[in-house]
Amino acid sequence: MRLSHVTKSFGANKAVDDVSLDFKPGEIVGLVGENGAGKTTLMSIAAGELTQDTGTVDYTKAGIVHQHFLLVNEFTIAENLALAMWGRDAMEIIRDSGIDLRGVGRRVADLSVGEKSKLELIKAIAGHPRFLILDEPTSVLAPAEARELFDVMRRLAADGTTVVFISHKIPEVLEVASRIVVMRRGRIVVDGGAMSAEELAEAMVEKRSREVATTARSIRGEPILELDALKVHPGEIVAIIGVAGNGQSELAAKLRDTLRGRVAHIPEDRARDGLIAEMTIAENIALAEPRWSPRAATRRAAELIERFDIRAQSPLQRAGSLSGGNQQKVILARELERKPEIIVAAEPTRGLDIEATRFVHDELRSAAARGAAILLITSDLDEAFALGDTIHVIYRGVLSARLTPEEAASQAPRLMAGVGSRESGVGA
Amino acid sequence: MNIEQRQRRLRLPIPDSRLPIAVLAAALSIALLSASGIAFGHSPRELLSILISGSVGSTFALQGTLLKSIPLLLTGLSVAIAFRAGVWNIGGEGQFLAGALGAFLAARYGMIAALAASLIAGAIWASIASAMRLWRNAPEVLTTILLNFIAIHLLGYAVNGPLQEASGKYPQSDAVPMTSMLPMLGDLHAGIILAVIAAIAAWFLLYRTSEGLRLRASGFNRSAAKWAGVNVDAQLVRAMAISGAMAGLAGGIELLGVTHRLFERFAAGYGYAGIAVALLAQLHPLGTLASAFFFGALTTGAGELQRTAGISSTVATFGQAIVILVMIVFTRSARSAGVSPAGVAASRRHGRAEER
Repeated sequence: MRLSHVTKSFGANKAVDDVSLDFKPGEIVGLVGENGAGKTTLMSIAAGELTQDTGTVDYTKAGIVHQHFLLVNEFTIAENLALAMWGRDAMEIIRDSGIDLRGVGRRVADLSVGEKSKLELIKAIAGHPRFLILDEPTSVLAPAEARELFDVMRRLAADGTTVVFISHKIPEVLEVASRIVVMRRGRIVVDGGAMSAEELAEAMVEKRSREVATTARSIRGEPILELDALKVHPGEIVAIIGVAGNGQSELAAKLRDTLRGRVAHIPEDRARDGLIAEMTIAENIALAEPRWSPRAATRRAAELIERFDIRAQSPLQRAGSLSGGNQQKVILARELERKPEIIVAAEPTRGLDIEATRFVHDELRSAAARGAAILLITSDLDEAFALGDTIHVIYRGVLSARLTPEEAASQAPRLMAGVGSRESGVGA
Repeated sequence: MNIEQRQRRLRLPIPDSRLPIAVLAAALSIALLSASGIAFGHSPRELLSILISGSVGSTFALQGTLLKSIPLLLTGLSVAIAFRAGVWNIGGEGQFLAGALGAFLAARYGMIAALAASLIAGAIWASIASAMRLWRNAPEVLTTILLNFIAIHLLGYAVNGPLQEASGKYPQSDAVPMTSMLPMLGDLHAGIILAVIAAIAAWFLLYRTSEGLRLRASGFNRSAAKWAGVNVDAQLVRAMAISGAMAGLAGGIELLGVTHRLFERFAAGYGYAGIAVALLAQLHPLGTLASAFFFGALTTGAGELQRTAGISSTVATFGQAIVILVMIVFTRSARSAGVSPAGVAASRRHGRAEER
């Protein structure tokens, strides 16, 4: 596979700018960069899904696993595999892939996000591609599942497949990649082998303007969010960690439906639930407000675009045209600006780059400092430990006891795997 | 964008605002209508000139066109509002009849009461479908269409039974009292003013009020609207009621301004034609003004074809169908949505399963 002088623009925006890359068989290439750096666009061109404006691409048989799922929800796992690989036994395809996915008779609509991503991967591997692209595959996986994925990647590379792994997570890239390519604003800025985490972070992120806000806050008073064992006090951040598909989504949905109006939500599935892609930024922000007038909403959205550093041309731009990180900022702006007393944030930084992640964390911390009770549902343990005052592990719809971060650090792996004591059911 | 593609799968064919497609659809339907004349031994050019002179060629023809445009405008608005909210209201025909029936029953209390009754009756008839949707998740695309048949037969029973004219001669009702009839403006009735006001009000509702904002949000993406705190079920109920009220008003105005009596074939397809009107207008209330006029002209032009060229005036429906097809085929969102009732029902269920 070879790309030479490839350029691709969307409107005025140069997503990929004169990029040349050679791939060798058996390489695991970590392709990293901030949101909107052009990684996904470049790889869609490599996979033949997009056509470049200029430049040439020498194709090989490529498989791509997208960040967003391309599965038929009404079909079972076996039926989805049959669509991709007609005539082969589903169980056998799964066994060959070396990925653990059970119950081929289950409908995709009933699978957890983690399971759907496994299914996508199995589909891509089944065709024995010579060139496999994985777009943010670990963003929805728990650590154990991610390690399973890395083993699969290493095995494929050993068989001579080129694997391109698009990611924001520096430790993962350093762990698994034999070559690292860093993109920034459509260009390749680094292409090399071993480097330290600091070097990589520096290469990826252009500026480090925002300082981490160290806000002292007090957790006080009676809990304002109580659901069985779950108690969240004003000023407290309670993190719920667990392997995807253990009732996290159901818990968030239950809180949405029971606490209608009192709660600000950062929904887990940003593409589906976050914003209304066809409507403008201003309209999306105004959805949470009781009264609306186009002019006031536009003015307000302009303020928030400024304050939340949203990279948009105008408040009247369609929300769907923003990059993932900027969409998340619009959601934050909408949800946090109404000064809610309770915030339920599900996977708030999934798929975001370092800069955007830090921004989200700062906003959640300052909301807590203001006295909001925050429930953070996340599969990113670093995030849980960075933000959580209290941690629960969720396993099969059941919450563990309240843990301090120290307790959680030692007990979490066991609890997430379902070994050890449990307490009191919630959700599911 | 992946995100957009994902959402398109679950959506009604809400067109992007693209005027050229509407113009193409209108032009194509006129062209095909004219060309069809060859089958009847007329030249396309001859038919085209009859169509034009018969619809806008004289003051008389223009008045006829405007008269037809009034109910089309209102049923078109009815469909536009419903589709914008993501509600498949195909029941304009039944709501039109319910509105006419309501207006007839209230006519003895005066014009205002009759008009109000037509709004309410249309809203109630449409709300039967939303009640079934909320209660048993029955797809409104099916229930509204079935309610049409019930309304048609209900009217048939009424004009053959309890509401039949005093002389008992024809299956029709007596005329409504003079006091309830709409005042005339020359050869047109005052309904035209009401219809134009309704179009402006619908535009204001959709694009200038928070109700409209939430209604559109529910139509584009139910799930995201729900997470943003919109009560999408309530939105569905209200959109359906407003939509039904518009179709009901169309029926009331037709009764009080034109026919003055009820009879079996009262609806004459205005409810279904509203779908074509709304799609051609790309579901925009102000666009509906132009598109209703176009279909009004098509109908009167087709009447003239029948009189002078002996071609059945039902060719007007042929023109409508062409417009609908062109709009659906050339609207990107529809391609993946599947616009057959079964496809719709499936995507609905799909949407439900996807929501959390």
